[in-house]
Amino acid sequence: MHVVVAGISHKTAPLDLRERLALDEAAALRLSQALLDEGEACEAVALSTCNRTELYLWARDSLAARQAALTHLARHAGVEPRELEPSLYSYSGDGAISHLFRVTSSLDSMVVGEAQIVAQLKAAYQLACDGGCTAVVFNRLFRHALEVGKRVRTETAIGERPVSVSSAAVELAEQVFGRLRDHTVLIIGAGETSELTATHLKAHGIDRILVANRTLETSRELARRVGGEAVQFEDLGEHLTSADIVISSTSAPHYVLTRETVERAFKRRRHRPMFLIDIAVPRDLDPEIDKVRDAYLYDIDDLQQVVERNRHEREKEAQLAERIVAQELASVNDWLRSLEVVPTIATLREAVEDIRRSELERLGNRLSDLSDEQRAQVEMLTSSIVNKILHVPTVKMKEVAGRDQCYLYVDAVRTLFDLDDGDDDGRPSQEAAEPAEPSRPRRLGAEACEESGGTLHHLRDTGTERA
Amino acid sequence: MEQTSVILLWLAYLLYAAAFAVFLIGFFTQRAWANRLGSVVVAVGLLAQTAGLFLRGVEAGRFPFVGLYESMVLVAWAVVLVWYVLQWFTKLKAVGLYVMPVVLVLLTVALVAYDPPAGLLPVLRSDIVVVHVIVMLVAIGCLYVAGGAAIIYLIEERLLRRRRTGGVLGRLPSLATLDRLIYHATLLGLPFLTMGMAAGVIRAETFRVQGWATDPMVLLSAAAWAVYLALIAGRVRGDWSGRAVSWLAVMGLVLLLVIRFAAVPYLSGFHTFGA
Repeated sequence: MHVVVAGISHKTAPLDLRERLALDEAAALRLSQALLDEGEACEAVALSTCNRTELYLWARDSLAARQAALTHLARHAGVEPRELEPSLYSYSGDGAISHLFRVTSSLDSMVVGEAQIVAQLKAAYQLACDGGCTAVVFNRLFRHALEVGKRVRTETAIGERPVSVSSAAVELAEQVFGRLRDHTVLIIGAGETSELTATHLKAHGIDRILVANRTLETSRELARRVGGEAVQFEDLGEHLTSADIVISSTSAPHYVLTRETVERAFKRRRHRPMFLIDIAVPRDLDPEIDKVRDAYLYDIDDLQQVVERNRHEREKEAQLAERIVAQELASVNDWLRSLEVVPTIATLREAVEDIRRSELERLGNRLSDLSDEQRAQVEMLTSSIVNKILHVPTVKMKEVAGRDQCYLYVDAVRTLFDLDDGDDDGRPSQEAAEPAEPSRPRRLGAEACEESGGTLHHLRDTGTERA
Repeated sequence: MEQTSVILLWLAYLLYAAAFAVFLIGFFTQRAWANRLGSVVVAVGLLAQTAGLFLRGVEAGRFPFVGLYESMVLVAWAVVLVWYVLQWFTKLKAVGLYVMPVVLVLLTVALVAYDPPAGLLPVLRSDIVVVHVIVMLVAIGCLYVAGGAAIIYLIEERLLRRRRTGGVLGRLPSLATLDRLIYHATLLGLPFLTMGMAAGVIRAETFRVQGWATDPMVLLSAAAWAVYLALIAGRVRGDWSGRAVSWLAVMGLVLLLVIRFAAVPYLSGFHTFGA
């Protein structure tokens, strides 16, 4: 069995193909379920964001699974499979798992270090889980992936400094004003970046948003969208008095604000500082404004520079993150290997044999009256009871060993007999030779989607299949 | 008792150094716990220092303000106290990092210049002298804090103007925070400075000290007082930029340092009691 991923992303596909392949919730679920129904995969999660569409599958045959994924994706997009082929990437095994971890750590994102992907992945997994498309392996794998994402965020500074113009502007504003509550922002012109910045500022607690545009209609429209108030463009000088942050992005060929206007405003605003952002080309704000005391003017180049430097920082942090991904991959692999039938049988036998031996030892005193022959008989009797009890489970497990659902049995046995606790010496030797990773405690807790719940669901399914 | 006092003050010294290290960790890792932990360590240090000062006073049988050792420990004590109170009321975070080095320098000077407690010169046996000293200490504590904040303000302002946005800038307190700190600390310090100076004048008049009004130290103090008054007035009326206010606070700080480290030991006709 392999973890397989097949999909497209901003690195392999142009925007229009990504648009066609975007999956809404219903489509994501439909696609996953179709793959399960056809028997190409045992578990499936579909992840769709604006930059990628990916199918994660737990499948026996990785090539067949990839082919099935390709067919389904092509059908959804309404293109021929061979048209999709060049944009489609796929990995299986370690490659797929580390890809998943890199995605959750936002190492594969368009903007390295962006924070949304964790929530998006969580939603995709939750959807698949609620739709009954995941079981033991993916429940564990995806939750692990979310934790990897969290670990990367806390242990590296990958998402620390802003790498977009609007968030860099907000950070600088905070450097000047501290908390943004009780401050006012004045937006001049209705560009996309200024709207984005206003939204950012609002999220950071800014109170009042004023919008000024040459046409009052446009400013009303923008004001409605960002939750501000529209003001007359002609009264700009007046509103400047109450504005702490000014964002300008008009298409005017000349300066909208001159040094004199700002100086006049400063006389009335009693020298509270003012932070001005000019994102227009050609510039809206007279560069001389930066020389006014307590006025800080940053133009688009200054902000780009900030962004560039921060992006560079992030790339350095990304290398640290890659190391974390590699570590976590090893720990997941340890667990996946434990899902194989033969080692599990061996562990189970050892565990039961341990119980037998310790019970005999406990009775040691009382057995001392017995003769050697009698003691040998007790030994044999207990051994044969153990063997008889273990016979059927062993045979059944060997029977399912080749089947898709075998790992569900393995997981059930491991859970029922508590084989995962301190099982280091119970493992086959080739595993003991593996580098020991700190294994995370198993959680069968009361989270929204329980591993045990998933297991039962699927065991029932296999039951009906076989009936 | 003298020994206990010294041990306690050393303990305070080490605790402040530890707090400084914790604040540094907070600065580089940007973790909130570091600032909280640092504050707690400073609080323990402050308690130790208070106890040490108290024992020193008991041993000498008077308020411990005589000589370089005692006055330095007292000034450091006042700075820590003022910072702590201000942080409590204004919810200023991450300023401890800048206060601790100042305190450590003051205490280092004190511990190097250690002298055993001695009796009091007859001139200083007066209640108004004690009032004068206590009030002055609070004033000095406040105004040192204001001066420190002003220095950071000027550095940060320059970084912003030169677009040095990487590195250290994101870790400094915001300009608004510093501006508030300068204002509040001066607002608190100026009345105490006024009272302290008044107490000094009363004392000089009552004892008919010769030529006190032309003493360099008194003149410098008057200058510092005027600077701080101008700062408050300008800030309240809103005439002055953050930069101007900061420069005034730095100027005041320089005057205070000159008074303490040059005027008192070398220039002044009086005020040189313990040394």
